[in-house]
Order: sequence, then C-alpha cells, then structure tokens
Amino acid sequence: MLHIGDLIQETFARSVSIAMTAIFVENILFTRALGVSATLFVLRKDHDRRLFCLVLTFISAVSCCLAALYSKALGRLSFGYYLRLPAYVLTVGLVYIAVLLITSKLPARHAGRLKPMIHLAAFNSAIIGGLLLAGSRTYDFWGYLAFGLGTGIGYAIASYLMSLGYERLQSDRIPEAFRGFPAMLIYTGILSLAFYGLIGHGLSV
Amino acid sequence: MMEKKYRLERVDYLLLQNPVLERGLTIAPVIAAGTSVKNGLALSLAFALITCATIAAARFIPRRLPYTVRVIFNMLLASFVFIPAVLLTEWLLPGSIFNLGIYLPLLGTNSLIVQKSESRFGRLAAKEMLQQLLGLTAGFFLTMMAVCTLRETLGRGTFFDHPVGIPFTLPALLLPLGGFIITGFLAAALQALRLRVNSDAPAPPPRQDPPHKPSVSSDLPAMAGKKPVCP
Repeated sequence: MLHIGDLIQETFARSVSIAMTAIFVENILFTRALGVSATLFVLRKDHDRRLFCLVLTFISAVSCCLAALYSKALGRLSFGYYLRLPAYVLTVGLVYIAVLLITSKLPARHAGRLKPMIHLAAFNSAIIGGLLLAGSRTYDFWGYLAFGLGTGIGYAIASYLMSLGYERLQSDRIPEAFRGFPAMLIYTGILSLAFYGLIGHGLSV
Repeated sequence: MMEKKYRLERVDYLLLQNPVLERGLTIAPVIAAGTSVKNGLALSLAFALITCATIAAARFIPRRLPYTVRVIFNMLLASFVFIPAVLLTEWLLPGSIFNLGIYLPLLGTNSLIVQKSESRFGRLAAKEMLQQLLGLTAGFFLTMMAVCTLRETLGRGTFFDHPVGIPFTLPALLLPLGGFIITGFLAAALQALRLRVNSDAPAPPPRQDPPHKPSVSSDLPAMAGKKPVCP
C-alpha cells in the first residue's frame, strides 16, 4: 500500500514531467504553430506580451482543470470526438466570462489593460489546441492542470524568444520583401529547429 | 490602369491580401498539418464549409447581445457546423481526418470566425460578405495547396501519394519548422509582388497597416476603439 507521502511525490513528479513535455517537447508555438498571429500582434509591446502570456496561462490552466472533470466520460462515448469541440468551447466560454467578471472588479486602470488581452487570449487556438491535446491523452486531474500550465509557460517562453528578434527583423537592413512578417516566420522556423534539436530529435536521413 | 486595379482588387484575397500569407490568420493548419496534398484538400474543404456556414449563420445572432456572449455563440455555432463538415470531408476523402489530428477541430476556432465575424462580416451586406468569404477561402486554398505541394514533393518525393521521381528529398520540410520556413518564403514572394504592384500604381492610397506588419489590430474590437460590451 502506497504511503500518502509517496503518492503526493509520485503525483508531483508525474505532473512536473507532463508540464515539461508541454513546455519543451510539445511547445504549443514551435511544434504546433498555434497562436502565431496573436503572438505577432502582442510582440509589438513587451508589456502587452507579458500580460497576454499571463492571461493565456491562467485561462489555459483553469480550462484544463474544468475539462478534466468530464473528459473521461466524453472519451467513453462512441461519438465523443464530435462533442469535444463544443464541450471545450463551452468550457473556455465560461472561463472567459468568469475572468471578465473578475477583471471588472479591478481598478479601471488595470481592467482597461487586461480586457483587450482577455478578448485576444480566450479563444486563441493555443488554448483550444491545448485542451484538444490534453483530451487525447489519459491524464488525471493533476495531469490536466500541469498540461494547461505547461502550455501557457511554453507559449510565454516561445513568445519571449520571438520578441528578441522582432525589432531586428523590422529593420531597414532586411530586404524589403522579407521585412517583418516573412522574416518572423523564417526566424520562428529556425527557433523551432533549435527546439527540435534541444529535445534530442534527430532528422531522418 | 483603372481596369487593372479593379482586376487586382477582385483577386485581393487570393493574393495581395491573402489571409495566411499577409496576415498570418489560420496559419497553424498550413504549417503543422499541410504536409501532403491530400491533407491540404481535406483542410481546405473543411475550412470552407465551417467558415462560410458559421459566418453566414452568425448573422442571425442578435446584435443586442453583449460582444462576449456573441463571440461564444459564434464559436458554439462553428463547433456544431464542424460535425457535418467533418463527416462530409471524411466521405469525400476517406481516411483524411485521422492524419489531421487536432487541426481539423481547430478550424472551428479559426481567426476568421473568432475575430472577423464580429468586426467585419457582421457589418457587411450579404452579397459583399459572400464575395469576401469566397475570396478568403480561395486564398486559404491557394496557399494551402502551394505549401502542401512543395512540402510533399520536396519532403517525401511524392505528389498525391504518387512518386514523382526526384533524386533527393528533404524530410525536414515535413516538420513544422519546414512549414514555417516555406510559408515565410511564400509570404516574402507575396510581399515582393505587393511592393511591385504598389510601385506600379499611380497614387496608391495610404495603408492603415504597413505591409510587413500583421494587421491583427483591426480584428480586436477593444483595440480598434470599438469597445466590446463585457458582462
């Protein structure tokens, strides 16, 4: 019989492992290309980017926790595949409303900054994509929470790395045809390759 | 010159204002799942069905509802439209949905539905909306096919699963990094074309967004000065 301490330790270790997988191995931006257009928008201001990542991580983690409550039951249904999307949309929708209600209680200065980020983050493909990925696994509640948090943290790391190149890639020294969006895509591809190497993959030859 | 400009405006969403290559909208399926022509066809078909049907149906959602609730209704509509769209795609291209993983359901939450249905399509007349939607879906199809053809041919040495007999392959192109890089080069080609067209035009109107920056700001009601009604 497992001691309660061992159980906590085992759950914690498994959760950390799931979170690390979400952050590095399955980075939502570099390996799944989710949330690219929103990232390119929030990169313009460092403050916006940080706020956006915070909101996205929060919504992702809370949505994953809620999805953990019904995902197993959904998986048992023969037509569960078709019901996943409406169920996740409803879940994120509820979190979206709750977060907006909480934000409206904050001082106007903070609420004014947060609300645009909430609108942008709530139905970002990174959140629904994270839920769909978590739903296709056999995680328990803590696994869902860890995956949701990992998705947000992975996104934050990826968007930070992208922000490092953003200013340079708008520079006049970049050929006009590549300046801005095309260069950012190529730069993201190179970062994606770096992540791919970092986690120990070898390319098939 | 006017006739040329009119012709260009008609194909704007196909090329010059291509949703994927100019704005990065709905770019994830192209980069991550656009690895074969068959995948590309399935994604384009599902995208067209889900986006057009959802945006058309979203016109019936009462405008007096708060913005937040309307967005959630839009998404719910899309997630229900997704069911027949997937069944039809699977019927036309058997076995395709298993290769697309999360990217098929994700089409139900694409940027055109989440952002544009409220900020743009909801304000247009039905005919104009239909024209723009057809242009955007055709633009998505064109980009998807270009990326898929390049990646399948150069990455796997096949076209529609038939060998094309090229002497070498670059398997890395089948990874997301290949998708990013190929899409980046296509976006650069489009930007070069846009610069050339603009330099040919006698007096181009001033753009709201520079061509090299993603123009997502107009998609955000709160940031574009149109304050959404929050609960």
